[in-house]
Amino acid sequence: MTTATTLIILGAALFGIGVVGFLTRRNLIIMFLCTEVMFQGVLINFVAMGLARGNLQGQVFALFVLVIAAVEAGLGLAIVVMLYRRRGTLDAESWRGMRG
Amino acid sequence: MAILIPLLPLAGAALVGLIGLRGLRARSHWLVILPVAASLYLAVQLYFQVQASTQACAHGVRQMFESFTIYQWMLAGPDSWLNVSFRVDPLTCVMLLTVLIVSFLVIIYSVGYMRDHHGHAERGYERFFAFLAIFVFSMCTLVLAGNFLVLYVGWELVGLSSYLLIGFYYQRPAAAAAAKKAFLVNRIGDFGFGLGILLIYYTFGTLEYANVFRMIQAGVTVEGVPLESARVTTIALLLFCGAMGKSAQLPLHVWLPDAMEGPTPVSALIHAATMVTAGVYMVARCHIIFAASPYAMWIVATIGAATALFAATIALTQFDMKRILAYSTLSQLGYMFLALGVSAFDSAIFHLFTHAFFKALLFLGAGSVMHAMAGEIDVRRFGGLRKSMPITHATFLIGGLALAGFPFLAGFWSKDEIIHAAFESDMPWLAWVAVVTAWLTAFYTFRMIYMAFYGRERLPEGVEHAHESGAWMSLPLVILSIGAIGAGYLGVTIHRGGFAGIFEPHGAFHDFLSRNFGRPEVSHEGGGHLLMYVSSLIALWGIATAWYFYRRRPTIPMAIALVAGPVYRLLYHKYYVDEVYDRVFVRPLRKVGEICYDLDRYLINGVLWLITLVPRGIGFGLRRWQQGAMQGYALGMVVGLVVVLWWMLMTT
Amino acid sequence: MEQMLVYLAYAAAALGALAVYAALPREGRPASRGVVLTLVAAAVGALLLLMGQLLGEAGQRVYFYVLSLLTLGGAVRVVTHPRPVYAALFFVMVVLSTAALMVLVGAEFLAAALVIVYAGAILVTYVFVIMLAQQSAPQSGGMFAQALQYDRDSREPMAAVLVGFVLVGTIAGVIVNYEWTGLAEYKTTAAEGNTLALGRVLLTDFAVSVELAGLLLTVAMVGAIALARKRIPQHDEGEPELAPGEIGKRVSPF
Repeated sequence: MTTATTLIILGAALFGIGVVGFLTRRNLIIMFLCTEVMFQGVLINFVAMGLARGNLQGQVFALFVLVIAAVEAGLGLAIVVMLYRRRGTLDAESWRGMRG
Repeated sequence: MAILIPLLPLAGAALVGLIGLRGLRARSHWLVILPVAASLYLAVQLYFQVQASTQACAHGVRQMFESFTIYQWMLAGPDSWLNVSFRVDPLTCVMLLTVLIVSFLVIIYSVGYMRDHHGHAERGYERFFAFLAIFVFSMCTLVLAGNFLVLYVGWELVGLSSYLLIGFYYQRPAAAAAAKKAFLVNRIGDFGFGLGILLIYYTFGTLEYANVFRMIQAGVTVEGVPLESARVTTIALLLFCGAMGKSAQLPLHVWLPDAMEGPTPVSALIHAATMVTAGVYMVARCHIIFAASPYAMWIVATIGAATALFAATIALTQFDMKRILAYSTLSQLGYMFLALGVSAFDSAIFHLFTHAFFKALLFLGAGSVMHAMAGEIDVRRFGGLRKSMPITHATFLIGGLALAGFPFLAGFWSKDEIIHAAFESDMPWLAWVAVVTAWLTAFYTFRMIYMAFYGRERLPEGVEHAHESGAWMSLPLVILSIGAIGAGYLGVTIHRGGFAGIFEPHGAFHDFLSRNFGRPEVSHEGGGHLLMYVSSLIALWGIATAWYFYRRRPTIPMAIALVAGPVYRLLYHKYYVDEVYDRVFVRPLRKVGEICYDLDRYLINGVLWLITLVPRGIGFGLRRWQQGAMQGYALGMVVGLVVVLWWMLMTT
Repeated sequence: MEQMLVYLAYAAAALGALAVYAALPREGRPASRGVVLTLVAAAVGALLLLMGQLLGEAGQRVYFYVLSLLTLGGAVRVVTHPRPVYAALFFVMVVLSTAALMVLVGAEFLAAALVIVYAGAILVTYVFVIMLAQQSAPQSGGMFAQALQYDRDSREPMAAVLVGFVLVGTIAGVIVNYEWTGLAEYKTTAAEGNTLALGRVLLTDFAVSVELAGLLLTVAMVGAIALARKRIPQHDEGEPELAPGEIGKRVSPF
């Protein structure tokens, strides 16, 4: 197994763990952290694929992923603060506005 | 240069629309007056150009009749471009000048009219001027069109501006209804017109005037097959259908009297002088098509004569000044179509030209009266305004005389020519209709004048004293009355010699237009002069009768009305045309509409409701899983992702 | 001799750690446990260093696997730790070990960017928010004493774990036998080094994307400020106020 393959599997594992966390945890902040873990997996994947292909594009994409992650964190956390101020709790279960 | 003529007013309209409400308000008329004045100037320049080229070599003339393309609009088929093209020839010039002169004067008049007695602008002042400018743009486009497509665009645009202006006082239900009626009735005509244009394209493969006319004269279609006369007749009748709508000829005339709900300057400009003559212009423009179909010509002449008589009889019994004038307009348009139908195209355009002056003058005079009477227009409610409104009275009288065909005024020359042409044609009995109508015209015109301006001064309630209108309104009246006196002399030649031979009913006007219509074959010798005496006498007789009935023995009209009760009521109710239409078309259609509505409501909606039961049932079942928790949905998404990914990876 | 210097430096660092630990304030608790932990950590570090020195190329692989394991373990703790602050700190661990992995595969610039942006900026934001949205927690409950009720409970653990690991398994199953084909473009030339090459590619071929990314950041900044400035009613009108017991009540979709 090459380094790239190992890294991709590592990335996939991080992504999977992030998914599990996102689905199970009820604290909004931790849910966000889980998405960051997923981002981390994606980022590793990009780098690994660049490595496998032997070029720099993977790293370029990884940098853009980094930018997106920063944007997402900034906005997402602003929203979390808003939600917290409105409800006084971080429990995701307290938001049921999407009920059909 | 020609392209600027319509575009300037359009730019004015756009500017007024954009900044009128906030920035200009009561001064917005300048943004319309100035572009229209500039367009008028350009039109005069254009006239001199055309005048010069008609006298130049034959090549120049031929050049003139080819329309020039402004831009290629759309591709209609392989190698078949539909263009925006203009055509400038003598007919265009005459129409442009008529339209722009009258528009210019009416716009000036409106500055005074659209204000109250304290000089404050009425509500919607800037809107009014923007609409007027749009109308001028549309009418110029219509007149300048170089092919049927642009003509149709202009045709619809004037319909639109007419609708907007009739419904200007949209707060009044009557005005809104009248606007709708005008639009719908015009739609009927325009439908035929549109079909006619499509048939032209189908038959000749082109919409350019010059090409179409050339092929008709050659008698071939686009495939090179000889043209059937039935096809030409169909085209001509479909086109005439549009003219009947726009020019309010007999079956489709009902919208025009109602259109008087619009402001009076609009009635003067659109519903008397210019837009309603678009039908006449169009038939004259397509005279080659019509001339190729004797049957169509017969229809045009008959409908024209019938409308002339029909409308004149209604005008006898009306009391609303604007409605009398509206029926008079119908009647005069009937004269024009009669002229067209007997191949006297230049006479029709000549009458159109003179009529524009004196009818606009009459309407504006009526507007002046209405303005002074605080909106009252019923001649039974006021009278004897001669003293208090001298300018209005004098100009109105001139207009009335011109309309009545009083000798040596504009209407006399043009109407006389039409009657003469009708006598010369193979349908002389139509000429007798025209003669009777001439008498009726003189009578009802002076009936109105005597009732409104003579006798003891009577004012409607709430009006302390009648007063003359201001300079903005009086000036156009005076200028138009000069036109009403003098416009006719463009169409006659003055000879020196014996009294009978002084006036030759064929003048510079006809010479100018002869490039369009060719020299008329009918001679104007002999019979023409006799007719002049006769029609002078008829006009005088009509005026005298009116004087006797309404000044000397005011009891006579009432006695006649009593004796001829049913006839009087028939006329007073305008032959019950509106009522008949209501019974025959409107109510059955409404019934059909109600049935359709019920069908829609119960049958279609019911079926749809049954269909909606399916997703609703599914939704009812699925609702259990819609808990509103975001993570539940996320779980669903991931499950879906896994399934799709699995499926994709396992199948490849 | 040089080898000796390295070990000396390492020993000095371990001593320093011990000293600082001993100097930190604590309330009557014996320092022994901490000392032992520090010593064990120092020993593991020394072992790793030694392995790297002794095994050469194979040592790189050892580093690689150890760092991978650290990453995975950190990620698992992020997901499972009941207290947000610790989750955030474990995430720092994930980021740092990822950065180290990046260094191993020759992406030095990305490693630096990860540490600066993620561990530096984003995580600080997280910690701020955690502080800002701190709720008073119940004091009893053993290991979860400091955790809130909704942090002590996970929803649908079975389904989530099943789905997540089927996903991982699917991807891994495909990837292990995948044949990569190289592409020549954007290749790092050994002489330039990673940072220079990456900068060249970013500012030539991806210049527009870089501008877009900058624009996106600006927009996000404006958005975040706008969101944060908004006055928020305690409860919106359309929504019924939930009774305290009802908040956090689990509703299962399955």
